[in-house]
Amino acid sequence: MTFLSDELIWFLDLYILLILGYAILIMSSYLVLAYLSTKELRGYLKKNSFVDYEVLLTSEFAPKLSLIAPAYNEGMTIEENVKSLLSLNYNNYQAIVVNDGSKDNSMEILIKTYDLVLSEREFHPQIETKKIKGIYVSRNAAYKKLIVVDKENGGKADALNVGLNIAENPFVVCIDVDCILDKDSLLKLAKPFLESHGKRIIATGGVVRIANQCIIKNGRLVEVNIPDRMLPRIQVLEYLRAFLLGRMAWGRLDGLLLISGAFGAFDKEIAILAGGYSTKTVGEDMELIVRMRRYMLENKLPYAVSYIPDPLCWTEAPEEFKIFKKQRSRWMRGTIETLSFHKKMFMNPKYKLLGMLSVPYWTLFEFLAPGIEFIGLVITALFIIFGLLHWHFFILLLLFVYTFAVFFSVIALFSEENTYHKYPKQADFFKLLMAAFIEPFYFHPLTVYAALVGYKEKIMGTKGWGEMTRKGFTKK
Amino acid sequence: MEEIWEIYKGGKWVVSFLTFSIYFFVAASFTLYLYIVASRNKKINRERLRIEYNTEIEKLLASVIFENVSFAAIKENKNFLVLFDTSFFREVLTESLINLHKNYEGIYAEKLEQFYKESGLIKDSFKKLKSLKWEVKCKGITELAEFNIKEAFDKIILYSKGRNKTLKITAINACIKLGGTRGIVHLVEHPDPIDDWTQLNIIGAFKKHDIGDTKGIELLLESQNTTVVTLGLKLIKELKLTQKLPYVVQLATKATNTTIKYEAQSILQALTV
Repeated sequence: MTFLSDELIWFLDLYILLILGYAILIMSSYLVLAYLSTKELRGYLKKNSFVDYEVLLTSEFAPKLSLIAPAYNEGMTIEENVKSLLSLNYNNYQAIVVNDGSKDNSMEILIKTYDLVLSEREFHPQIETKKIKGIYVSRNAAYKKLIVVDKENGGKADALNVGLNIAENPFVVCIDVDCILDKDSLLKLAKPFLESHGKRIIATGGVVRIANQCIIKNGRLVEVNIPDRMLPRIQVLEYLRAFLLGRMAWGRLDGLLLISGAFGAFDKEIAILAGGYSTKTVGEDMELIVRMRRYMLENKLPYAVSYIPDPLCWTEAPEEFKIFKKQRSRWMRGTIETLSFHKKMFMNPKYKLLGMLSVPYWTLFEFLAPGIEFIGLVITALFIIFGLLHWHFFILLLLFVYTFAVFFSVIALFSEENTYHKYPKQADFFKLLMAAFIEPFYFHPLTVYAALVGYKEKIMGTKGWGEMTRKGFTKK
Repeated sequence: MEEIWEIYKGGKWVVSFLTFSIYFFVAASFTLYLYIVASRNKKINRERLRIEYNTEIEKLLASVIFENVSFAAIKENKNFLVLFDTSFFREVLTESLINLHKNYEGIYAEKLEQFYKESGLIKDSFKKLKSLKWEVKCKGITELAEFNIKEAFDKIILYSKGRNKTLKITAINACIKLGGTRGIVHLVEHPDPIDDWTQLNIIGAFKKHDIGDTKGIELLLESQNTTVVTLGLKLIKELKLTQKLPYVVQLATKATNTTIKYEAQSILQALTV
């Protein structure tokens, strides 16, 4: 009995130390990333205040861009969104909207609104895709930048590959058609392609923010508001943390594994050489970046991925738990698939920082974290049932994690306050602050649950995105 | 030391560590919260002051431009002198002056330049050049260039040879405005590659400031630095300097670097068609 008790005590101690060690590791990494991000952000803002983007507007040497916007059942917002794409501050660009076999009236709306006619345009596909039904251009000279491709449904990756095949320009900007772009977004996204000498910039990404309840006028965001509903409101905070305190640091370290599918620019040649978007994963945005980086490293080609902290793209966040769950489980499946496709890179010095830090970080803290958390919950429940739980210690541990979560959100708010200050209304700031207190009890369990659903779906072999319903933006 | 070891061995450190961390996170969150509130209040106050100052400044500059009021006369107003002593007022005044100067030409612009010199704001700008912070230097350079202070050229050109890219671009732009091609001929000897963004800015400065005298641009084609040669070719193309075509022809026939040769040929084609 004494032997068993000793063993149990030893196991309990070990378990507690492991959990604590994991928590400390993850928290420290967040703090280090936040520190690096803040430093980088300050430097960027200082430099940016002297940048004259007008030179890109007036020069024929500005990078030529092709915007690719895949659309699936976006009838509710497509007219407004395409208008937004066509009114961006940039000269050297074309906008390619790929209708991925929508079941709604997206195509009819596009044809009617933009006076589209079938075109005989020829192109030489370099990536295999589903069949194209037709390529449309506008009869109206005002929409000469617009190309609409109608194709059979093949998923987002397939639609983006069609765009890569059709794009005439050396750089492609892949965006979600339902996103609202800042009018200077292309100027800012194009600049890094001109900046690096000796290293080829293969991709640039920008910050995505939540647009729920923001006011949109003529395809432009005119008023930033905080959503009334708690689920999207906490996502505002979550995006601030992820983009201002996370990706900025990975950008500085040149270890960025993900450029959001909502808005990112790529070197078309490298994207095609790397094989284009993979249709075998629902995390095609992350997977492409990893594959492009891998291609450059394996071919010993000097390269860099650039990241812009300016809020360039505004998107609608899910407001219903059902939709949220679908989105997050898909993100988890995408992460698992990407890490599994590129498992060769894990702790492989051949892939430098990417192999030794980025991939292990994503594996340990993005892929495994929800699972570890779930196991922790089960063990805690068992401890309670068997009367083994040391309540004083348990409550301290809970408080430790909770206060850190709130602290980290406050750092994100602090960073936002001192940089972009997009939420100037006092009430909005307090709403976000309150959200930081509520998040660990309300939002976090939901994200863990959705991630576990993602695990399950991956095990069950679920494919595809599932239907994503949009509510549409508030128009003025 | 022994005590710490005992705490560790006894497992008590976990509780102490957690307790300390909780207090730390709470205190740090509260401090950050206070900082955010203070920062917001500061922003609100600055904005209020800016609006107040702008009302005064608008009146003042209107009298300078349209009523020929000199700075000596303005100085007689004691309220103005009190305000002028504050750095924030001078900052707002300089910004307003720059904005107005961008919108005016001829005699009105000259009056603003005169005011900038007489008021001593020019000294503030020169002082900024001596700052250790590159961003302050950039600000000073921008101000001096905006008001066409030609005497600043020799100082500013030194910064265009430095390694800080933003400072370098700001300085080159200013030098182009103040000295035309004199602002870039030193690039012939430039040892480092000039990236496309810097090149675009240089071309942009030529277009923006409408530099008519392009004598010396052809010298860039003689540089050993291929990026400088590319810059020269781009300038010739974008400014449509057909009088420089003989130099491009020479480059297209004699260049050893194939990329340069190709670029020269394509520019010849573009400018002669």
